Amino acid sequence: MPLDSSIYTLSALRLDGRRWNELRRINGQISTQQAADGSSYFEMGNTKIICTVNGPQEQKRGGGRDQSNEAKVEVEIGIAGFSGVDRKRRTRNDKRIQEMQYTISSAFQNTLFTHLYPHSTIAITLHVLSQDGSLLAACLNACTLALIDAGIPMSDYIAACTTGSMASYADKEDEADPLLDLNGSEEQELPFLTVGTSGGEDKVNVLIMETRVQMARLEAMISVGLDGCKQIRGILDGIVRAHGKKVLQSKVS
Amino acid sequence: MAPYTNIPLSPAELSYLHTSLSQQPPLRPDGRSPTQFRPLIAETDILPSANGSARICFADGTEAIVGVKAEVEKSRLAHTVPSNGEAAGQGVLGLGKGSARDVGDEMDVEGDESGGKGRDAWLEVAIEIPGMRDDDALPVFLSAMLTEALLADGGLKDRLWINSRFHWRLYIDILLHSQALSYPLPLLSLTTHLALLSTRLPALVSEKDEDPLFNDDWEASTYLYPPTTTTQHQKPPVTLLVMSVGATILFDPSKQELAVADSVLAISAAQSSTGELRMVALRTIDPPSRLTAAGVPNVLNTTTGATGAQTLSAADVLAMREKDQGQSVWRPPRGGVPRALVAKMIKMVVERGGVGEEVMEGLANVET
Repeated sequence: MPLDSSIYTLSALRLDGRRWNELRRINGQISTQQAADGSSYFEMGNTKIICTVNGPQEQKRGGGRDQSNEAKVEVEIGIAGFSGVDRKRRTRNDKRIQEMQYTISSAFQNTLFTHLYPHSTIAITLHVLSQDGSLLAACLNACTLALIDAGIPMSDYIAACTTGSMASYADKEDEADPLLDLNGSEEQELPFLTVGTSGGEDKVNVLIMETRVQMARLEAMISVGLDGCKQIRGILDGIVRAHGKKVLQSKVS
Repeated sequence: MAPYTNIPLSPAELSYLHTSLSQQPPLRPDGRSPTQFRPLIAETDILPSANGSARICFADGTEAIVGVKAEVEKSRLAHTVPSNGEAAGQGVLGLGKGSARDVGDEMDVEGDESGGKGRDAWLEVAIEIPGMRDDDALPVFLSAMLTEALLADGGLKDRLWINSRFHWRLYIDILLHSQALSYPLPLLSLTTHLALLSTRLPALVSEKDEDPLFNDDWEASTYLYPPTTTTQHQKPPVTLLVMSVGATILFDPSKQELAVADSVLAISAAQSSTGELRMVALRTIDPPSRLTAAGVPNVLNTTTGATGAQTLSAADVLAMREKDQGQSVWRPPRGGVPRALVAKMIKMVVERGGVGEEVMEGLANVET
């Protein structure tokens, strides 16, 4: 079903009632599971993700001993069969999932202080319970929260979001507004990119785009994305601080 | 089958645990009474994209999420058998109607035209356990056990019938989030029970054998297991793990307790429309205690300077080891379960005011 963008030109409101620069409702929890070293639950609109972190620990799998001087970040993503509109089981060898795993692992390999844990692995497991757009961005944010819960030192939060571009035809160049934080139906129709930054908007860690877009629109999309990352960083920081306060209060009383 | 081959307990510790559990009343390591369950956190209806969903967290940190999804599917021609035919209700597993329903139940569904038309293949259970492949023994065995209980219940697959040409196909996806610390069967079964209780299907608008058309108002949807104000309505089965040590029967065994179990049974009980529990499936589970290392009697232990191993004949050594079973040193349990004990275990689950009823009531009170 094509995306009905006729309302947007009239009222500048998207299908779910947001303006171009508004995020969806974002919600997160830390320490949701006792058995793991670190865990988090993250919601971006209807995209819901559970993340657990185990480690740093001795490498279990693989025969040879790991001789590297850095900890290795292993990411496993499981997309539940009931997460989408239609029930679909995805195998672990799905190319799209593998690419996401690689993107997340390389982003955190550079942000975590892996040199403190030689010969060890940090295993991140992500369970996607419900997907409605911005999957990679939500995964990155959930990982950040779980890694903070696990107490693994890192230089800064990685906060991520998606941006899209409204009209997908060249003749409507003047109405091409950049859109922040796409939902599932927008993502299927519009060109979009995922941007993840650390330290507010100083350093871009992840920038992925799989669709085509006119070169002239890219700059606006990225700048809107960087601004969105800054907002998300603030939200993540709020979640971490609220959790910290709760932990401290339970220790005191 | 056994998820843990290395139980980190010495023969002396196992023997101690066995003795304390076989006392009357038994002393459990965590101080629970024999029928008491560990505390758990449960919530239902947590996912927007699933027809029904639930999450349960056990106190030891193991956590499971179940999502139930239903899709409309065209019935294959081979499936359209006359409703009064003998073949109706005989599914691919061959469990059929007779295996699960007694005469009283047949009377209940008389007015319902979908009675006995369900197929076993309309239900699909998939279990995902981290670090295990989908075709590993444990997930396959667990899903077979859960499917068996759900199908033997009988009522479930009949509810999936829409008309003679269409039916619902029900996918139950079970995710275990944490490592399997203790045997995960009760956790997965309780979560599935909760998810099925919260499962809703869109209300049917079309009539008879038309192509099905549904009401798109989710508020008008019907529950797969319609709740009533009284406690007397049909409920999906729960599978409980029951173990025995000597004459003692323990519910919800922890990992340490399973390591000394004489026998472990998985008993599935479902509630019929009259509010009575009945057993729908029973399986014995090979307890991990059979894989524990046996202790060596002092007389035979060469490291303590005893010369028994040299002086005694092989037959004497064997006799000594056999006689010592569970007395001074630990011996892994062998042999079967007395029938009277099995009967007692089943009775404790299904009797009025028994453990099964208590569990069902506890789960029914979970708020969404």
